[in-house]
This record gives sequence, C-alpha cells and structure tokens, in this order.
Amino acid sequence: MKPFAYARPKAVSEAVDLARGGATIMAGGTDLLGLMKDGIAAPERVADIRDLDALKGWSRSKGKGLRIGALVPLVELETSAELARSMPIVHEALAPAATVQLRTMGTVGGNLLQRNRCSYFRDEAFPCWLKGGLRCFAIEGDSRLHAVVGAEECVAVAPSDLAPALIAYDASVALTGPRGSRTLPLADLYVTPHGRVRREHAIAPDELLLEVRVPENALGRRGAFEKAMERKTWSFALVSVAVSVKVIGGVARDARIVLGGVAPVPWRARDAEKLLEGRALDDAACQAAADAAMDKAEPLKDNGYKVPLARELVRRNLQRLA
Amino acid sequence: MVRVPKAPSFVGPGAIDVALEVNGEAVTVHVPPHRTLLDTLRETLGLTGAKRVCDEGTCGACTVLIDGKPAYSCMTLAVACADRRVETVEGLSTDGLHPVQQAFIDHDAYQCGFCTPGQIMSCVGLLRQNASPDTEDVLRAVSGNLCRCGAYPNIVAAALAAAKKTKR
Amino acid sequence: MSIKVVRTKSEFEGTISEETALVEGTDLRSWADDAGLTIVGKRHPRIDGIARVTGRAMFTQDLYLPGMLHVRMLRSPYPRARVRKIDARRAEALPGVRGVLHRSNAPKAAFRGEETIFRDEVRFVGDEVAAVAADTEEIAAEAVRLIDVEYEVLPFVADLEEAMAEGATKLADAGNVSDSGKHDRGDVKRAFAESKVVVEAIYRTSTQLHNSLETHGAVARWDGGELTVWESTQHVFGVRAGIQAALKIPYKDIRVLCDYMGGGFGSKGGAGKYTIVAAIFARQLGKPVRCFLTRDEENLAAGNRSATYQTVKIGAKGKKIHAIEHLSWSNAGQGRWVADPTGPTNGLYDIANVRSRSYKVLTSLGALASFRAPGYVEGTFALDQAIDELALQLGEDPLALRRSHAKQTTDPVTGLRYSLKRLLRCYDIGEKEIGWHRRKPEGARGSAPYRRRGYGMASQLWGGSGLPPAYATVHLNPDGTAVLRCGTQDIGTGTRTVLAQLVAEELGLEVDAVRVELGDTNSQYAPISAGSLTVASVGPAVRLAAKDARCQLLEAASGLLEMGTSELRVQHGQIIGQGHRTSIGEVLGQVENFTVIGKGSRFPNPEGLSLKTFGAHFAQVEVDVRTGEIFVEHVVAVHDIGRVINPLLATSQVEGGIIQGLGFVLSEERIVDRPTGHVVNGNLEGYKIPTVRDIPRMTVRFTEDADVKANNIGAKGLGEPPIIPLPAAIANAVANAIGVRIRTAPITRQRVLEALSLQ
Repeated sequence: MKPFAYARPKAVSEAVDLARGGATIMAGGTDLLGLMKDGIAAPERVADIRDLDALKGWSRSKGKGLRIGALVPLVELETSAELARSMPIVHEALAPAATVQLRTMGTVGGNLLQRNRCSYFRDEAFPCWLKGGLRCFAIEGDSRLHAVVGAEECVAVAPSDLAPALIAYDASVALTGPRGSRTLPLADLYVTPHGRVRREHAIAPDELLLEVRVPENALGRRGAFEKAMERKTWSFALVSVAVSVKVIGGVARDARIVLGGVAPVPWRARDAEKLLEGRALDDAACQAAADAAMDKAEPLKDNGYKVPLARELVRRNLQRLA
Repeated sequence: MVRVPKAPSFVGPGAIDVALEVNGEAVTVHVPPHRTLLDTLRETLGLTGAKRVCDEGTCGACTVLIDGKPAYSCMTLAVACADRRVETVEGLSTDGLHPVQQAFIDHDAYQCGFCTPGQIMSCVGLLRQNASPDTEDVLRAVSGNLCRCGAYPNIVAAALAAAKKTKR
Repeated sequence: MSIKVVRTKSEFEGTISEETALVEGTDLRSWADDAGLTIVGKRHPRIDGIARVTGRAMFTQDLYLPGMLHVRMLRSPYPRARVRKIDARRAEALPGVRGVLHRSNAPKAAFRGEETIFRDEVRFVGDEVAAVAADTEEIAAEAVRLIDVEYEVLPFVADLEEAMAEGATKLADAGNVSDSGKHDRGDVKRAFAESKVVVEAIYRTSTQLHNSLETHGAVARWDGGELTVWESTQHVFGVRAGIQAALKIPYKDIRVLCDYMGGGFGSKGGAGKYTIVAAIFARQLGKPVRCFLTRDEENLAAGNRSATYQTVKIGAKGKKIHAIEHLSWSNAGQGRWVADPTGPTNGLYDIANVRSRSYKVLTSLGALASFRAPGYVEGTFALDQAIDELALQLGEDPLALRRSHAKQTTDPVTGLRYSLKRLLRCYDIGEKEIGWHRRKPEGARGSAPYRRRGYGMASQLWGGSGLPPAYATVHLNPDGTAVLRCGTQDIGTGTRTVLAQLVAEELGLEVDAVRVELGDTNSQYAPISAGSLTVASVGPAVRLAAKDARCQLLEAASGLLEMGTSELRVQHGQIIGQGHRTSIGEVLGQVENFTVIGKGSRFPNPEGLSLKTFGAHFAQVEVDVRTGEIFVEHVVAVHDIGRVINPLLATSQVEGGIIQGLGFVLSEERIVDRPTGHVVNGNLEGYKIPTVRDIPRMTVRFTEDADVKANNIGAKGLGEPPIIPLPAAIANAVANAIGVRIRTAPITRQRVLEALSLQ
C-alpha cells in the first residue's frame, strides 16, 4: 500500500472540500484498502468520513419513507427487527453477504459503491480495459464468474447483494458535491462500462453519497431474495436475485426483478416484470417470467451455467411470493 | 501528544502519534496513516496473537474486537482506531482463562492453532452481544474465520459450551 | 547398550524403500488390547492448549528479533523466459534497502538439483528472480518494484492436457511426459477379452492449493559462526540438510527450530528458497533476516496437489471385477517428481488382472508438493467411481461388489501377509451408521422440490506404518517430572500430547508431569512429520526412552527404599511396592540433584508383513437439480489404524481430513489463465476452502484393535487416511442422487448444471 496523507472531516462540507481537492473518500475501508493493497488504487490523500454524523443512522417518518445514512453499518440493516419488517429482502440479502466482521466494518454507502471483483481487474499484472488498458482478459481467459447479459467492453459483474435488494424497493440515493446536491434512482448509480466510460458508478470522484431513500409506497412490498454461491457462505454471488411485488386481488402489480452477479450493473429484468403485470403468480407465470429474465443472455465460454441458475432463482423467488 | 487532527488538515504520509486503548491500556503508537491495525499490533506493540494470513479480509485470522465488536485488523487502519477500544486475544486472560479459551481446550477446537486467536475473538464478540446463542448464532459469528485444519465442529461446540458456562 | 545396524523396508507416501538405521538395546512387544492402559487410549486435551488459546504459542511468523531485516522476492511475471539482464541499482539506492540478491551476485547454492537459487531461465509465473533485504517489509516490497529486468519471453504450456498433447511446446529436451510408475499383475489383455461388461471413463482432478494458514517462511540469524534458523516446517532436520547442501555449513553450526507451526499438509518438507536466501542475507549483512511468503506467493511457488487426467477401464466376469487398467497423468508443474495415483488401484482391492501406468507431466507452473495423501486422493477419486460405474452396469450394490474384493489377507502388490486388516469391519460399521439400506440404485427424492438424495461410499488404503530412524530421550527430574526431547514437530496433529501420553503410560507419570520439547535439530533425530508416520515412527522410540527411564528410576528407588526392583512398579507418579506407596519426588528427593536420562530408538518394522491402514467413508447427500447445489448431509468415516492413542485428537484429525476432502471435491480449484500462465485465484477469496457452514454432520469411528505386530505401541498413522476416500464417496453419492456422473473434481455448481443440461 502506498503511503498517503489522512484527514478526518467533521462536516459534510469539509469532506466535499477535501474530495474536491483530490482526496479519496473512505468509510469502512473494506473495499478501498483492498484496492490499495492490490495496487489498483493509490490515493495520495484519504478523507476518512467516519465522523460525519449527518451520514449516520436511519429513520422512518410517516409518509416520507425510509432514510438510511451512508455510514450505517451493514450489520445494523441486517439485524434491526424493524428494518427486517419493512424491507425483508434487504435483511435476507445481507445475512449471507460477506461475514459478520465485514458487515460490522462495512457501510451501506461503501457496499453500494464497491468496485467489481473480477480477478483480472483486481490483479495489477493485468492491464485490463477497465483500468485503461486495451482489452478484457476475462473473455479469452477465465470467464466463469463473469457477466452473461448487458456487458460491453468489460464483463465484470456488479458484486453487491444489497444493491439489487434496495432497487427492488425503488430506492434512490442522495449525493452532494461541489456542484450541489442531487438525487438519483439507485439503479442509475450504476453504469455499464463502455466506450469512454471506464467506471462502474455514476458518482463523481468529488461527490459524496449521503443517504439511501426508500419511498413509503415501496416499503412493506412483499419480497424474496436468493443467492447462489460457490460454497455455503462468504462468497460473492454467482447469481443473486431480489424480487418484490404487490399482490392485489390475486394478481401481481409493480413487480421488481433485480439480479446481481449476471451483469455489469444490478440487472433489472424489465421484460419479466412487464410480463407479470396483472397476472396471477401461478407456476406458468413464474416460469415465463423466469425465462424472460434471461432472454437477452449472451453467455461467455465458461459461464453458460449462470443462465439456467438465474432463471431458477427468479422462478423460486416468485413462487415464494405466490 | 498529537491527536488525529481536526479536518480539513491532513496528517502523514509520515508517521504520526495515534492514541488508542489496547486491552484496557491507553497506548500511543507512532505509525504512518497507511499502517494497518494488524501490523501495528504485531510489529509495534508486540501482540502477535492476531495472525497475518491473507492480509486482505478474506480469512479472519486477524480478528480483534474494536469497541467490543469483531473486526478484521488487517482491513483497519491504526489511525482510524484513534480513541477506540481494541481487544486482542492477549487481553482475555489477565485473570485466568476466559470461558471461551477454556472451552476451546476442552473441545479440542483447534489443530495447528493459527486461526485460533481469531476464532476465539469472534466467539467472545458473539457472547458479548448475545449471552445465549444457539448453533445458528455461532455459525453466523464464525463464518468469517477460516480454519484450514477443519476444527469447525469443535469450534462450534466450544462456543456453545462457553455460552452455557458464562450464563450459569 | 550397544548399537546395532538394521536394514528395513519402509513405506513413505506409497513408495517403498530400503532404509539403514541404527538402533540401541532391544525392542518391546506392543501393549496388548487388554493391557489395562490408563492413559494411552484415553481422551486427553492437548497439553499445549493454554499456549494456543492465549496467543502465546510462538509461531515462526510471530518471531520479531531486534534489528531484523525483511526480505521480499521479485518473481517472474512470465511463465517462461530467459533473464537477459538485471539492473538492481534503483532498488539498491532506495533508503532502507540493505541488500539485493540475484543470479549475477548470489553465491552458489545447490538447491533441489540445481546449482543456484536464481535461475537464468524462469519457468513459471512466480519463479524467483531476485530478493531484497530491507529494514521493513514495505521498503523491501517497494524495492522489488525498482529492479529492472530484461526478459526474453519463451514459449510455454500452462495446462496439463495441453502439455500432454502431441506437438506441445517442449519444456524439456526429453519431452513433457515421463514415466513415474507402473504395475502389472495377471494378464490384463486376456482378462478384458473375457469380461462381459467393460466400463471405461476419464476422470479429472484439479490442482488443489495447500493454503496452510501460516505461509512458508523462515527467520535466520547468523552469529559467531553459528546459523540459527526458525522455520515453519514439518521437518527441522530436512531444513538443516537443505541448508548444509546449499551453503556447505557443517551440521554443528546449524540449528533449526520450529515450535508451533501453522499447518503444512505436506508442503513444508524441507528448506525453501526463502530459507537459503534468509541465511545468505543473514551471513552477508550480520543481522537477523526474516523471509515470509505472502498469500499470493504461497499459492504460486510453495507447492500444490497435482491436477490429474486419469483413465480407468474396468471389466467384470460374472459379478466380479476381472480386470482393471488405470492410466494417470499428473501435472508436476516444474516439480521433479509426482505422486502416483495408481497406488490404490494396485493394492486396495483383490483384483487378479491389473495394469497401471502413471506419468509425470511438466508444465510452466509452480512445482507440486506433497499434499495430504498425494496421489491417493486423486487415484481413489477415479478408482472408486469406476467401481460404482461398473456396479451400476452389473446391477450390483456397490458396497457388496467392494466386499467381494476386500477379503484378501495378503497384500496383492507384495504378496506379504497384512499385519492387521479390518476393512470389512469398516464396511460393516459404516453401512450401519449411514443407513446404507436406504440407498436406491436410482437415487431418491430429497427433502425439498427438485432435490434428489443419494448415498455413496469409497474405501481407503494407505501405509502409515512409520519407519526408523527416530530417537528420543526422557529426562526424569528429582521431583518426579519428566522432559521428553525429540526432534519431531507438532504440525497441529497433537504430537506433543500423544507423546506425553506414551511417556506417562510407560514411565508411570501423570500426563501433566511430562513436558515435551520438539522441533529442534540440537535434539534427537526424528523423521518428517508427513506421510502419516509420526506416531508410528516416533512413538515406539519414545516408549523405549520412557521404559529406559523407568528402569533406571526403579533401580534408584530400589536402592533408596531397600527393596528389590522386581517388587516395585511406578504408576501415576507413585512408586508402589508391597504395602508401600510413595511419590517419585519423595523417593528421589532423598538424593542430591541428578538427571535420569532414558534413551529410545525406533526399531525396524517386522519382516515379511505388510503394514497398511484401511478405512471407508460413507456419504449421504442431496443435490438440487435446478441450481446445482450440493448439500452434504452426513459423512460416516471408519478407520482401521491400529491402536488409537487419543480418541479426542484422533477424531479431530478425521474430521479435518473429511473437511479438506470436501474442499477438494466440492470447491477447491486453482484457476490458471491459459493465455498468460497466471494463477487468477491465488488468494482466499477466489480459492474456496470450506467454511464452518460447509460442514456436514460427521460420524467418526475406529476399528480400535491394536496392530500388535506393527510396533511396540500397536499404532499406525492417521494423518492421511481421512482425506483419501471422502471425495470419491461424495462423487458416488452425487451420481446416485442425480443419475449423472460428474467425473471432474471439484464438483461445482457449474459442473453439475452443465452435466444435467446435457441430459
């Protein structure tokens, strides 16, 4: 790890100033330190935002939905009984995510902004396209963990399990920076690396993620989460699927089907969602939606297995909600 | 003593003084901001119970308690621990063995012993938060600690036995 | 006592060799099964438990000496290249750098068949190119990046099957493939012609990485002409020999120490390049030098279990196996040997016609190292699946088919009688514990939709007899406590505790009264802690040393108590005579300070007998046929290893073997990027070893009869046996569950889903 200068801003404005001056923002550090140890990130200045009270804690106010500060430790989202009631998918997604230690150290903001786990990207020895190189090494090399849908020049997958879960609740994120504050649908925080865009997130280097917001009407939506791993725990998802749906009068409304581990961004299966609108969640509908969810899949040489796996997890989630 | 300063001024990249509490004692270490807590414990403070196995948060052998909660010391900067409480395996047995330590002996909850301090700290962290854990709670607590020898069943048994004893 | 020269045949990891050793005195007969032992055979927690749970156990990694320098290596980024030029000036100029070693300035040092540590031609990604010693590890790492190297990149092969193929890039003049083992019995050609049913299949196993939690490393200190090396090793005497060969330092000036060590699993068998480099730097720079590998380096350059490509052809006449042909190719990387996966095929089952060949294949990857039952895990994965495949074709129960080939009382390879064989009893116990009667040839419905349940089993054959030479001394103190000294190591198996139990039993002490000092070349020689040979090699020597001490104690006591030695015995720290019971301390306290020194040596194994361990694993699994997920529900492990010295520790050992086997068969696979020869998952994120949640219910049983013909403690080894049959048992259970056989390990979700999609 390259030595760096360190500061601990006490206010959001100070943090933004530091970021504008070129400092890299660090919260729990569980991703950033990994990137630094691997030689993928080498900031000269680091702004540790752990003291920013404005980014701490979560609250729910009647009619206004839920606000979750970017610094809330993942373990709090996982273990809070109240949150588990209002967002069961988030609870389900976090229990198998990483480990207790990492969920204790890691924050909501850090999880949503973590970089991909492609071993070529994480290995300094490979000058891959995403790092400014000429090509993707995974396509010709080992692609068993990579994207089956939606990828352009880079086939790394979005690693977060929390992101699909929150997107299934129509979450948005509040950002602030030197050019002011803005709110984005969480789904739009993620960009598919392509062309001149060699990054995975829409946040600017000098912007700060303040909080996640979940609208009132999405809370309490029924939902389910499934994750397939290479061992029983402590693995990034081969495929993860978050599904939420309102069942009104026996038919599905407003379904959200969001997949992790299959695409460079949390993958919203919109065709499958549309197909369910107004239909009863019977076996045929669940299977049809599952098939539609992977309609556009274009697997690489090693990862064809992810397609049936993703379909099945979608189908199971829907069936659990039927 | 130079505390971690008020923002927005920077300290480092050279060594600075960081004051923290380690095993109940106030200590000040002189380390650069990029030094991990693990390396600080082992090399600066001579506390070698926490082990360096992967150095990237993927094995759990460096687990310590920070403010009472289990954390990977290899993925924590020492400077970020200013004014926080750090507990290592060496701090558990100042007054006889901790019940978790005794249970590890009784249940043969180790083989080579290299992951043991981390496993023990994870179990101690669990018992702090949950005095009567069930098997699922223990599995959750030690899922982040790899053991290459495969002492897992005995580790789970030891944690449950220690909980029983502590409760009594 | 007089010294005798003995010659004996000994087995180490499947290879039988002739040994010459020195022994002293006469051997004892083994304790009988009904000897009324009170310490041996009993559960006893580890005697070093407190050190392990308090963090006080001193591992080599924990040694920080004043003024110590730190070494980092520059490693080749290419799988094969000629080093044309090295310019280390920028590195040497970095403040804090104390020395740089590379091929142009390193002293000659013979190492594993080569004359130098740093080769002109680097042969795998991770091969050592240069080393830097600096004040801190960080500076050393930075300096490594400042070394300028000009490489001439050469053609390479980074894959086993590619290297085996015709026209492959030749990595050696003689080609990539060379013979490494053969066995012929009967007439295989004719037997296959006579067989009504013949099954033939290809089996593949992946490269497994040891990932001992403590990486390979050493600390070297050179003072006053004496070199002290602390090393995380399974063989302090092996490290000493390696240093002597490389640096031509006489034995008297080398001391190698290993107190606690964080796992080796076969990979820490002698000096590494890191040892020699640390020693050279220590001598050149006059400071202690520490050289430890990082996790990534560990997974590139510290050994691995060879990947294999195996074909098994098996034929039946009637309901019996008539012939088997097993061909096996092992990926040696840049290793100089390979293990032989055909061992179990040659020796496990009573089959009249056998032909086996094994081959070593060179590739542009790091060398293999022994890994817990090298060859036997891979070979059993193929053999015991082939037997199940044949059983299916024959409509036979796979356990019944094995039973009919497991009755022989002589070793089919050597023709020698077994000293003891309880394989059939292993089958009986396992069959009952797993509930084998529930196994249906077509599998069964599982506990949830799309889940199928299956049962499988496999057998285990391994040596484990132990071998000479091994020596020990027992120092008995006037207070009735004793110190056992022996140059063996405790690599996590519990050697300290088991040896203390043997001393306590034989000498008549409590276990707590015995201190065990090991891992020191200034002590008595003991063999490598590998090959399941520690207990059976060192244990008998320790017992003799304790017996020698007991005899001397009784002679002394007889003088002090004025009673005949034959009237006295020692038990639990008491000297007991007729109507007389005094503590040892009280008796010996009557004299001035003294030390009774008992000596013992390991006698040869019995002539004309075959000493083997046997066992069987049974597994119950469920497989989700839509997600490819495997749920291992229950594993029953039954082993026949002679006397079990400490059932608590033996059970831990078996559970550990099962768990490592689960990793091998379900999740562990080194992945190599073929276009570049880089290992892409040389870390604990991408390389998946089992977690606590991957563990099934486990039932561990021993047949428990002492092998009284084997040696004076009646015990054989247990290190390797519990990993050997597990992968095949799981593979057979999976095949039974889903009706499709997956012949490649690990059986990942990917492979399950791909196999099912081909249905």
